[in-house]
Amino acid sequence: MQQFFDATLSGITNGVVFAAFALCLVLIFRATRIINFGQGAQAMVTTYLALKLIQNDVPYALAFVAALAAGFLLGAFVERVIVRPVETGPEINAVIVTLGIFIALVALAAIIFGNDLAAFPAAFSLAGLEVGGSTIALRPNDLFTIGAVLVAMAVLLGLFRFTSLGLRMRASAFNQEVAKLLGVKVGQMLTLGWALAGLFGSLAGLLIAAGTPIFPSYMDAVVIFAFVAAVLGGLDSFLGAVVGGLVLGLTSAYVSSYVGSELVTLAALAILMVVLLLKPGGLFSSSVARRV
Amino acid sequence: MLEVKDLVTAYGPVLALDGVSLSATAGRVTAVLGANGAGKTTLLRTISGLVRPKAGTVMLNGEDVTRSQVETMVHKGMAHVPEGRGLIAELTVEENLRLGGLFRRAKDGDSELARIYDLFPPLKERATRSAHTLSGGERQMLVVGRALLAHPKLLLLDEPSLGLAPRVVSQIFSLVRDLVDSTGLAVLLVEQNAKSALSIADTGVVLNLGRVVATDDAATLAADEGLRHAYLGF
Repeated sequence: MQQFFDATLSGITNGVVFAAFALCLVLIFRATRIINFGQGAQAMVTTYLALKLIQNDVPYALAFVAALAAGFLLGAFVERVIVRPVETGPEINAVIVTLGIFIALVALAAIIFGNDLAAFPAAFSLAGLEVGGSTIALRPNDLFTIGAVLVAMAVLLGLFRFTSLGLRMRASAFNQEVAKLLGVKVGQMLTLGWALAGLFGSLAGLLIAAGTPIFPSYMDAVVIFAFVAAVLGGLDSFLGAVVGGLVLGLTSAYVSSYVGSELVTLAALAILMVVLLLKPGGLFSSSVARRV
Repeated sequence: MLEVKDLVTAYGPVLALDGVSLSATAGRVTAVLGANGAGKTTLLRTISGLVRPKAGTVMLNGEDVTRSQVETMVHKGMAHVPEGRGLIAELTVEENLRLGGLFRRAKDGDSELARIYDLFPPLKERATRSAHTLSGGERQMLVVGRALLAHPKLLLLDEPSLGLAPRVVSQIFSLVRDLVDSTGLAVLLVEQNAKSALSIADTGVVLNLGRVVATDDAATLAADEGLRHAYLGF
């Protein structure tokens, strides 16, 4: 029972990070119909930035916020300067460009920061909380992780649901031509979407790095899990990404706890295969409505 | 209001518009008629900037807007309701409507919505529903209502009768006529349904293979049997 309880708790913590990262893939996919394979590398670069700041005695919170801001700007830069010029061609062009971003950033990071493991500090304590005399697999830092993701999601949801900026962004994502005819500056909305995705990706990267060693490709595993989570959720549903992230987080924790950690990735891909066989559009896709 | 001169638009080597000139004036409905492939939709898309012309000019209220960005046209008083209705199916009815007036950044959003709901009561009942649940006629109401929220001086309507029952078509058309008479709006109406369109239009322009073959009073065109048989199909 204790084992199940602990696995569930660590599954939830990992799950919200996968969900956050899946959200940024969905944000971009909804608006531009491409998967940004460079997202993990962008997050890695900003995590290194935070680490360098912390090593130079900048307060943790300030370094954290600086990394998020850098993620926002890097996202905007990638859309505006690198992806925009190839967007008019077939979608595969842009996808390949994002793969190029991934390779280039990982290689650059290795040159600048080195390939060695570097310890990234955690924001809060990594000692398990005591409940009724026994230690559980929930640490103060995990609470911070879960809380940060929940706040970020609430802000994102509020932005899209209740503000006119969010309405303009959604209109641009669903129908660029009609949005333009209604006076929406679609280009700006796309840039903003990529910037927000960059910020969310950075957040996920920072949270998953806390208390662990980082290296230029430390985000690769997260990208795979988040990608599976996003596909599970249908790729264009925010709710789907969150549910997918949690499912992936819990599954990987159970598999790692009861079967063996070497089978975690295999389990993720097995889930993906089963879902795609049974419901090819994903669990929460709105693509049926889209065809009307 | 709108002056189109010698407009030429090509898709690759194919000329869709081959020197089209026409005008639309305030308080009048100008119908653009012709068969499938005559260039009607291309004409509207070129006027609103969705497609760039190879040659020719589009003047709106004396301003050359030929090379203007699509996003700026609505600020200049032009609203374009594209073919196939152009509602955003994933948004609710009310969100679709709000989009229409957003660019004005005005604070009168709610009273403006009320004005459109008065005009189209069925939309009010379905305000919070997803737009893809609407019937064909309601969809047309939604896109016309959304265009009106922009306070346009010129309204481009692309095939509003497409897929609608004849009774709904005549409702929509008489509503457009009333709007034009009461507000002095200029309407450029593209239609394959020539008979219905001419019944509410002041002027008709007949297109064939990208060229204007006739421009005249709507009544005169409707009475021209040779023209009707050759180009208008009634």
